[in-house]
Amino acid sequence: MTQRTRNLLLLAPAGTWFLVMLIVPLTVVLVFSFGERGASGGYVPAFTLEQYANLPARWAAFKNTLILAPVGTLAALVIAYPLAYYLAVLASPKWKTMLLVLVIVPFWTSILIRSYAWIFLLGGRGIPALLAMIGIEDVRLINTPFAVLVGIVYGYLPLMVFPIFVSLDRLDKRLLEASSDLGATRIRTFLQVTLPLSLPGIATGSLLVFILLMGEYLIPALLGGGKVFFVGNALVDLFLQSRNWAFGSAVAATLVIIMLISVTLYMRLISKLGAQREDVSLM
Amino acid sequence: MQRDDKPITKKQFMEELYRYKKGSVSRRHFLGVTGLGMATAVMGAAVPGLRPRPAFAAGDIGDRVVLATWPNYHDPANFEAFTEATGAYVQVNVFGSNEEMLAKLQAGATGWDVFVPTNYTITTYVGEDLIEPLDTSLIPNYDPKAYDSRFSDAGSVDGKLYAVPKDWGTTGFVVNTKHTNGVKVDSWKQFFDMTKNEFSGRTMVHDYQLTTIGNALKYFGYSFNSVDEKELADAEKLLIECKPHLFAISSDYQPSIRNGDAWMSMAWTGDGKQLNNDMPEIAYVLGKEGGEIWSDYYAVPKGAPHRAAGYALINFLLDPQVNAKEVLAHGYPSADAHTNALLPEELLNDPILYPAQELLNALEFGAAVTLTDPNRAELMARFKSA
Amino acid sequence: MRLYSIFVYLFLYIPIGVIAIFSFNAGRHASQLQGFSTQWYGKALNNPFVMDALQTSLTVAFFSALFASLFGTMAAVALQGIKGPLRTVFDGLIYIAVMIPGIVIGIATLIGLVTLFDLINPAIAAVWPEGVTAPKLSMGMGSLIAAHTMFTMALVVIIVRARLAGMDRSLTEASSDLYATPMATFRQVTLPLILPGVLAGFLLSFTFSFDDFIIAFFVAGSETTLPIYVFSSIRRGVTPEINAIGTLVLAASLIMLVTAQILLRRGEKRKT
Repeated sequence: MTQRTRNLLLLAPAGTWFLVMLIVPLTVVLVFSFGERGASGGYVPAFTLEQYANLPARWAAFKNTLILAPVGTLAALVIAYPLAYYLAVLASPKWKTMLLVLVIVPFWTSILIRSYAWIFLLGGRGIPALLAMIGIEDVRLINTPFAVLVGIVYGYLPLMVFPIFVSLDRLDKRLLEASSDLGATRIRTFLQVTLPLSLPGIATGSLLVFILLMGEYLIPALLGGGKVFFVGNALVDLFLQSRNWAFGSAVAATLVIIMLISVTLYMRLISKLGAQREDVSLM
Repeated sequence: MQRDDKPITKKQFMEELYRYKKGSVSRRHFLGVTGLGMATAVMGAAVPGLRPRPAFAAGDIGDRVVLATWPNYHDPANFEAFTEATGAYVQVNVFGSNEEMLAKLQAGATGWDVFVPTNYTITTYVGEDLIEPLDTSLIPNYDPKAYDSRFSDAGSVDGKLYAVPKDWGTTGFVVNTKHTNGVKVDSWKQFFDMTKNEFSGRTMVHDYQLTTIGNALKYFGYSFNSVDEKELADAEKLLIECKPHLFAISSDYQPSIRNGDAWMSMAWTGDGKQLNNDMPEIAYVLGKEGGEIWSDYYAVPKGAPHRAAGYALINFLLDPQVNAKEVLAHGYPSADAHTNALLPEELLNDPILYPAQELLNALEFGAAVTLTDPNRAELMARFKSA
Repeated sequence: MRLYSIFVYLFLYIPIGVIAIFSFNAGRHASQLQGFSTQWYGKALNNPFVMDALQTSLTVAFFSALFASLFGTMAAVALQGIKGPLRTVFDGLIYIAVMIPGIVIGIATLIGLVTLFDLINPAIAAVWPEGVTAPKLSMGMGSLIAAHTMFTMALVVIIVRARLAGMDRSLTEASSDLYATPMATFRQVTLPLILPGVLAGFLLSFTFSFDDFIIAFFVAGSETTLPIYVFSSIRRGVTPEINAIGTLVLAASLIMLVTAQILLRRGEKRKT
């Protein structure tokens, strides 16, 4: 057996899997997106651009997603970075692993159940009740975009902390010492040494969170009270309520295209920023 | 209250015997209600040869049956009893809307053996060839004469029986009377007007096009089922005006009403009953303009993988003894006279389950067209994403 | 900085605490505390639906993690030695697989497989001997495992490849210089080096599959996984049973983690 045959054989199961479970489904979505909705739902073959022409009807969903996904990613980054920095640079080595594990543990309870805890915390008997005790009355938190944002940050924080921690952990502490020995202020050291070196971690974490947020359904459904509507929610409704497979496929295809463009652009940007550093990407 | 562990009075015994003779109740039912079943069972346990056989020998119908139904809609003890009697284990799938059930069936091969569609959807299922005509010989407990025809008619399409009634109910709203300052709330007009004013941020509407759009249509006095463009446009305007004032768009309203976050919500009979039981300040209101009355059915999808077990389950759940326990658990009225005969008097007179006739008269059954009308679906999507 | 970290940990753990506290609630409703009780644990453990869903979730997670780590590793190893268009195609597929949101995977798999089954089922029925009911392909555990495997396999390829990339090439070269067969080289040199990556991939796949809701929501047919069960319970009338389940799952993962940690430490000690 030549090496090439062997490699091809090794590749065959994965290749078949991708063919049946990725290429075929995506092709069907693309084909359906040019079709029509049947009289009582489903799909009827046709060739029309009607579904794409109808996309503005979901403009609000795209707008919400395209605002809240980057904002959520940024919020998670801002909250995660100092923690990752603390864990990687400041925490005593003895506790480091333990503390890191503690960041990941909440991730093991279903996101459904964790969001449910937030329904209680943000609801009238949770934080607003505590605020009322100190005289701040009638604060409404649950079922607002803010609640969704909290849920997002809470849900995906570990995904952001972890890669940043890894990149900061590899950072040679002597660099920091050298920088301060050379009289750089702490802020300058941070901006000129630490931050650039942690860029790969930031890039990976942000990408992971962003991808997940773009398709988010559960958190807006549970914490947004059905009023905060993402593309994910629009898709679920199109397939499970109005059964408009053709339009649903067009929305799904558009989402994939937006993802392809934004992720590719993002990776270009990151690799330009970190041109001389080690390659930053998922792969 | 007639429970099987309580001795029956002489008068009741005679009544039941009469009904049994007439043939309107089954032998099992008769034995069960009168306590003779219990006596037989006790004797049977003592004398091994007399031990009652399960209605189906275990294994006959397979080891499981899959039921697609609504949340909080059954007495789990009944499923255990079914498993005990037949050896088939009941797997329950819970759904949020008729649209979702239809969507899953249209997508093909759900694995369901029995599901619970609402009256207005049945013609669509028949038209789409998704459900089979029922084989009545497999459901001897179904006695068509015992049903109030208002709640069983929709089960037949073109003279063929496709579905048998489970229970019925209404769609009104619950309101926390602690916050109404004594004002009597009795209309959809008030529901939406209060939402925009004193109840701002405290109202919930269903995440369900039929009821949310239907009740908004009632605000203007239009038909609950309207698909008229102008009327739908009015309803949409109202809903979008109300949206910033809503607490949530969700069919899961019990928790929010219970913890006081929401003060008012569109609601179904059983939820109204359950809430009112636990919190007397929660009133269940039917809008005087009208609204929805509905009836849920049992049906068998085409190609059900455990068809025999599906029929056995339907038959079991239609047994008045079993059905009465179901009603006590879910709080929706049954249209079956046999079942009602077993229910306590105060439940049969409960104004939440059995609203006054003039209120009922104004209600409409959902129409099939609303299920498939793309405009209503799109309206709902615009409202939710607005 | 330390204070800040404490705040973040509080943020992370208060909701977990709330879940745990309410799991001991005596009352029926998840939002009103009414005394202490462990009854919900008993109820959850005795609820056949919960146990069924748990079993389904574990089965699906195990098999998709198994397939994903097996085929993913095979692919990663093969891709080392492949260049040209095939490599580009594969890279593209992996890129797309990890980048597509779960919800699109769920929907696409649903309509893709339904369409595929509609084509295949009549064909099977046609060639099947008469009188015997032909098997019918349908959505269910198989399609769910397949969908989870597709996504997690891409992750495994990425992880194992990162491991392979960090591997010293001269090792395999040395091995073949010493006339070891390719198989022996793989077993004795490559595999031990990539094994941590494969294991990490397995665990990640397992976790992903066990926790996935949105793909299963579309693809699971009549199967109910634990997240689907929890979702339909949350939809209406949550009882503290859900909290009990969540607390139990968390406790089980913690125990697994601690055990793994202890085992790893022991293994490391033995090595040194």
